[in-house]
Amino acid sequence: MTSLNLDHLLPDHIKHFEAYVPSKPDPELMRLYGCSRLYRLNNNENPLGPPEAAQEVIRNFPPPSAAVYPSGDAYYLRTKLAQRFGMDPDQFLVGNGANEVISFVMKAFCEKGDNIITADKTFAVYEWIAEFSGFEARLVPLKDYAFDDQALLDSIDEGTKILFVCNPNNPTGTYWNRDKLTRFLDTINGRRIVVVDEAYFEFVEAEDFPNGMDYIRDYPNLVVFRTFSKMYGLAGLRIGYLAGSLEVVQAIRRTCIVYSVNALAQIAAAAALDQDDHVVRSRALVREGKLYLKRELSRLGLSFQMGEGNFIMIRLPMSDTLAYRKLMTHGVMVRAMTGFRFPNHIRVTVSHMEAMQAFIEALEKILPHRPRLLHSIPRETG
Amino acid sequence: MTPPNKTTFSLTVQVNPDFLPVVTAFIEKASRAFGLGESEALSLTLAAEEVFSYLCSTGRLNEALSVTCTNGHYYVQEEFRFRAEHFNVRAFNLTASALPDEDADWLQTGLLIASRMVDRFQFFQEDGTSRLLLRKEKHYPELEDSPVTSPQPLRNIVIRHPDPEELKVASHLIAGNYPLHWIPQRLRVPGKLVDMVQSGDFGAAVAADTSGHLGGLVVWHTHENKLIGLYGPYVFDRTKSSDISRALIESFIGVVAKSGAIGILNRYPTPEIPTEYFEVLGSFTIRAPSGDPVQSEAFYRHLEEDLGMAVWAHPLLEGFLREQYEKLFFARDIQLITSEGETSSPFSVLSAHVDRKVGRVTLRPVWGGKDAEENLADHVRVLKQENIPQIFFEMDLGRSWHSRFTPGLLNTGFEPRLVLPYAGAGDLVMFQLRDDEAHV
Repeated sequence: MTSLNLDHLLPDHIKHFEAYVPSKPDPELMRLYGCSRLYRLNNNENPLGPPEAAQEVIRNFPPPSAAVYPSGDAYYLRTKLAQRFGMDPDQFLVGNGANEVISFVMKAFCEKGDNIITADKTFAVYEWIAEFSGFEARLVPLKDYAFDDQALLDSIDEGTKILFVCNPNNPTGTYWNRDKLTRFLDTINGRRIVVVDEAYFEFVEAEDFPNGMDYIRDYPNLVVFRTFSKMYGLAGLRIGYLAGSLEVVQAIRRTCIVYSVNALAQIAAAAALDQDDHVVRSRALVREGKLYLKRELSRLGLSFQMGEGNFIMIRLPMSDTLAYRKLMTHGVMVRAMTGFRFPNHIRVTVSHMEAMQAFIEALEKILPHRPRLLHSIPRETG
Repeated sequence: MTPPNKTTFSLTVQVNPDFLPVVTAFIEKASRAFGLGESEALSLTLAAEEVFSYLCSTGRLNEALSVTCTNGHYYVQEEFRFRAEHFNVRAFNLTASALPDEDADWLQTGLLIASRMVDRFQFFQEDGTSRLLLRKEKHYPELEDSPVTSPQPLRNIVIRHPDPEELKVASHLIAGNYPLHWIPQRLRVPGKLVDMVQSGDFGAAVAADTSGHLGGLVVWHTHENKLIGLYGPYVFDRTKSSDISRALIESFIGVVAKSGAIGILNRYPTPEIPTEYFEVLGSFTIRAPSGDPVQSEAFYRHLEEDLGMAVWAHPLLEGFLREQYEKLFFARDIQLITSEGETSSPFSVLSAHVDRKVGRVTLRPVWGGKDAEENLADHVRVLKQENIPQIFFEMDLGRSWHSRFTPGLLNTGFEPRLVLPYAGAGDLVMFQLRDDEAHV
């Protein structure tokens, strides 16, 4: 047999990069942890599922159509997005989930020696894609659980191409208001690409929250990410998109993988866009769930970080990964936050009341004792 | 693959006595270039000479053999890669004798010499390729008198990477503030600690104030098996003990959280460890300098959401494992090994990591064989003779053949103490020789 020595074939940045290992399928996890039902509170999915119109489209999808290639660039969906936001269809790019469009943007603007800047405790995929692409990811500590605008600006150097701002931030739920975003974009003054990831935009209820789409006209260096995985309940179909100025989107299009979004995802997403009542119902469910959690977590003496979005981050008096395993045995799956650099925190999706009650009941069983007040000492950076 | 910060030299030769001078010259020059002292370089060279000579006598002549020499900063390692299905590492047993019995092969004497020349060896065989790794550590001056901690409390403490001088100071402070049996062997030599961190195998963080006074230290070791070994936290400013230890641990977890490691294991916890960040795996017995037995706990922290896995076990260990996994909330499929008439090697081999200062040894299987129980008993006898009463054995449940040592272990007086998740190819079970057996 021919021997293989990958040492000479792999680039250095791949040699030292660890592959992401996704969770096992639910039935496997349930078997391993010995639970008969599983509340999925780990991925911020919408428990209401897709909007009714999207469900109808999925139900009526003719199986023979699976043999036909989809629109290579989601033509009809982009047209619909353009109508909804009053923009040009060519100002949108659709990807196989928002993760794919993150990759498009980095490939378009970064080359060897360049860097991207984002926060240290945010959605991990910006950092992850930068690193396995061979670019430096500069991570700026959060300030009071929020993106620190001045620190982001201070980290910029000649090699900086893109700044990623998660708004609202996953997992803290903090956000930049209109004034802050405007000031930031004014300071950048078109010299770098600014990505504002609005994956949870449709859940936001704060009145001063900025709609990134409204800024694109004045700030052509701005790229806005949105997804159909959260509010629109299409996570299983993998579809997300970006929007920006014609010039910027045209540049990103060069790195865009065509035909990566399947036909069912495209038509379901188009149908979902019109369903404003679904947004209203989902927000109401989240509002009710947050109120319940707030009350129950206070009763348990646990501190938590609750902002915009359909999730809440809770500090535990125990290891979050141990809490994950213990909760799994009670049929509740949450997100352990060590990987987000929040040790001893879990993130919980706000879901329907039955799931929330099951979570609190399980949490109460696994807590070792009443939490103590924890102090912190700053960590030197730079 | 070559880890970061490691320089390697490689040589490919044919298995042929004519090339022996080439191999020995290569090892000697590389060892010296990598900073080994004359005596240590000579030992490693002698080991290489014996291994190569053995291969020339037993292997297929003129087959390719590669020798790689790696600079590990605090050690130099030579690796032999060759095709030899019947390479017999029996001589690497601590108990092997230079006086062969009637069945023994005189050729083994060379390997016996090689094994005694190095500080550590590992042997792997996969797909017909054998890998023998021999490691020699550099010589460092032993720790002398250690200063005691400054009584002045520190202000404005930050957690940061230490510079080499700070590491040496911290090593002295550990020795001055903690009893010997709480300090792992590898942290007791200041210069070595500096080189260990420099090698990239180890990481360290200190708690220091703005004037440079040290308040605490954590050290960690990234193993090949994705488990990070944690030492400490060591706290020198006792007035802020809990704040410093918490800040050190939070900072450390932040550093390793996205490293790809699966978990953190601390077998040398200090009283200052902030327990809310860890889970207790169980306890084992160590000896204080007075000789009194002390129960020491092993702390663990998983870094990911556990996806579960399958482990191999001998039926005699199944009950213990089920109990442990239920207690620790780890999802495991326990697969029982069987004996169905298949042929196995006549000899087993164990490696022994000895810490003579505290009288402790850890045995690990290198090769499985029919004489497992006899071999274990021989090791126990020799170690008792050498006055090393704390005898541990680590069994990797990710390697099915390790489980074949189970009956021998139980019959020799070992008992399973802990399950160390992901500490090997799978979970490790740590056995300890029972106290009544250790002192017979």
